[in-house]
Amino acid sequence: MKKIGVIYSGNEAHYRTFHEPKINQFIEKLIYHPQFVGTDISDLDVLVVPSQLNGELLMQGAQKIREFAANGGTVVAFGPQPWEWIPEQKWKNRETNFWWWLEKDAKSGLVLTAPEHMLFKDFLTLDDCTWHQHGCFWPTDDAEILIATEDGGAIMYDQKLATGGRWIVTTLDPDYHFGSYFMPATERFLEGFFPFLASGK
Amino acid sequence: MNLSIARLDPGHAFGINGQMVKMTDLAIKNIPQYTLTSAALEDVNVLIIPNFVDQEFLYANKNIIERFLADKNIVVFCGHLFRPWLPGASLFMPERIQHHTDYNIYPQNNTPIFDGVETEDMTVNKGVAGFFARGYYHTTAEQEVHLRFKSGHVVTYVDRHATNGTIVVHAGRPLLGYSGHNKTTDRIRTQFLAFLTQELARLQEAQ
Repeated sequence: MKKIGVIYSGNEAHYRTFHEPKINQFIEKLIYHPQFVGTDISDLDVLVVPSQLNGELLMQGAQKIREFAANGGTVVAFGPQPWEWIPEQKWKNRETNFWWWLEKDAKSGLVLTAPEHMLFKDFLTLDDCTWHQHGCFWPTDDAEILIATEDGGAIMYDQKLATGGRWIVTTLDPDYHFGSYFMPATERFLEGFFPFLASGK
Repeated sequence: MNLSIARLDPGHAFGINGQMVKMTDLAIKNIPQYTLTSAALEDVNVLIIPNFVDQEFLYANKNIIERFLADKNIVVFCGHLFRPWLPGASLFMPERIQHHTDYNIYPQNNTPIFDGVETEDMTVNKGVAGFFARGYYHTTAEQEVHLRFKSGHVVTYVDRHATNGTIVVHAGRPLLGYSGHNKTTDRIRTQFLAFLTQELARLQEAQ
């Protein structure tokens, strides 16, 4: 089982999400964000960078996160990314489609582009990833887009590095929504996603 | 004395692209949360603490909150309390929902903050219930209740007894964010500011 570390902001949503036993059982190290730069993460296989972190602290730790991936670790990033810290990050902020499901012939705007990926073969369905999205990424060609917008933007991508490192980046923010007691799909997402990370598949 | 409001800024992504409280018609001092320990609060009489704040940090520095309240000021917290950094406050409890009407919110005790605000407008948005609040707080007899769920659980209360100042606790979104939606919830922002003004005057008159 892979050793997973999670950066913890100290906000109410992250408190609930990452202390919930069914999630917490997969977390080897919960790292309080103000202490992240001084924390040894060399024993971890996976580092989860949640949504809605303090921007200043995020940028202070960005180099350390990039080095973790360059040294063979898997970095997971959740949520909208207004600060440039992910390698070759091309984030496009878009109006959030909060109410798509109330429209006639409702479409979430999400397309499962990699149904054969292990995440979707064994752990999640597209429904588990469907609530709303805040924007998309336009990653480089070596990234595999797992979930896309209808115009090809990445809602989730998996980028494997030559060093053995890996970036799994998604605009989805289940850590915030589950921790805030709304959006039931986010609970299913977390129930499937953390076992996937722990499996190392 | 006029209101002098400061807001603790969590510095998170939603906070930088206009998804949070509209502040254009109100001068509010922004205090980045991790600078609270060195921030000058002498010219501030209302401190607003939003839900994305680092509560571990606030708990470690709760003496600052206590000192601010001891000086007859007002602290407003809108969110889910999970660390005891706010004097006299219990921790957040999620509401048990078995039917969408369990999210119904009811004003209490002739509350001036929610006067004329209709249950339907607070509870339902585009036909969907539950956006206003997801949980509640246990209160004491001395704490003044302003909103309750159908169950009777308290969503919003004011505490004038735990400290020399006033504490407003609301288990939902920022109260100053309610405006411009063309429904009775638009009253909340204006009425909340009036409440703060009146509360500040009362605090300063009190010996």
